[in-house]
Amino acid sequence: MINALFNQPNYLATKKMLDATVLRQEAITSNIANLETPNYKRLDVAPSFSSDLRQAIASKNPTQIENLRPHLIVDSAAFSPKRDGNTVQLEDEMLHLNQNFVEHSLETQLVSASLSRLRMAITGRSG
Amino acid sequence: MITLLTGISSSAAALTAERIRMEVISQNIANANTTRGLDGKPYQRQHVVFETALRQQQGGAGSFGSPQAVQVSRIESDNRPPRLIPDPSNPGAMQAVPDVNIHEEMADYITASRSFEANLAVVKNARAMAMQTLTIGK
Repeated sequence: MINALFNQPNYLATKKMLDATVLRQEAITSNIANLETPNYKRLDVAPSFSSDLRQAIASKNPTQIENLRPHLIVDSAAFSPKRDGNTVQLEDEMLHLNQNFVEHSLETQLVSASLSRLRMAITGRSG
Repeated sequence: MITLLTGISSSAAALTAERIRMEVISQNIANANTTRGLDGKPYQRQHVVFETALRQQQGGAGSFGSPQAVQVSRIESDNRPPRLIPDPSNPGAMQAVPDVNIHEEMADYITASRSFEANLAVVKNARAMAMQTLTIGK
């Protein structure tokens, strides 16, 4: 099957990281949109995702990596200095936003590089 | 539909909500000296109440821990009593004027416009990310 071309653990792991980055972007967007909504609690990607991913990569089992599903949870560690029960801090969210952007940039480049190596292996030419 | 711009609907909702808030503040400032409203009473200060609006998420993780948009749930009247000041045209008589504090309104206005800017920054970021996604494989 052609699938065999695309199931190297590294490539799959990068794809999962990209999924998580996009999901985190959703969470940050939601947090900033609800900056002043009373009783809103900030969201983030479940912290268990990174350890699950590390474990799946160590197992070198493509299906295990493929089956990972990053999901969002309410960040229970977030501290609320405001009186209205809202746990979003604008500065933190802006930092996360920029960090996430850089991560996204890294991951898209990794995926592209992986595809271009594959192309080079097929055609024998680079670029 | 493909959502190329991640979470754009939350940001759009937040921009709308902040704009409504700024409009309400403008209305308060504009009517700071309105002594006769439609009901014949001094103008009452208004303020907005925000609430989250649950947004459908792809792959639905349920309501708990899913991204949410924001919306203006209602515009409330503040029930502060009007201030009484001496009526210059009628010595000895008092005149009721709205209890709108310009400084408070301006501080609120600045907060609203900063939140608006933060949401715009998110939109710009989402756009740059989408452009990056489109370069995959190039």
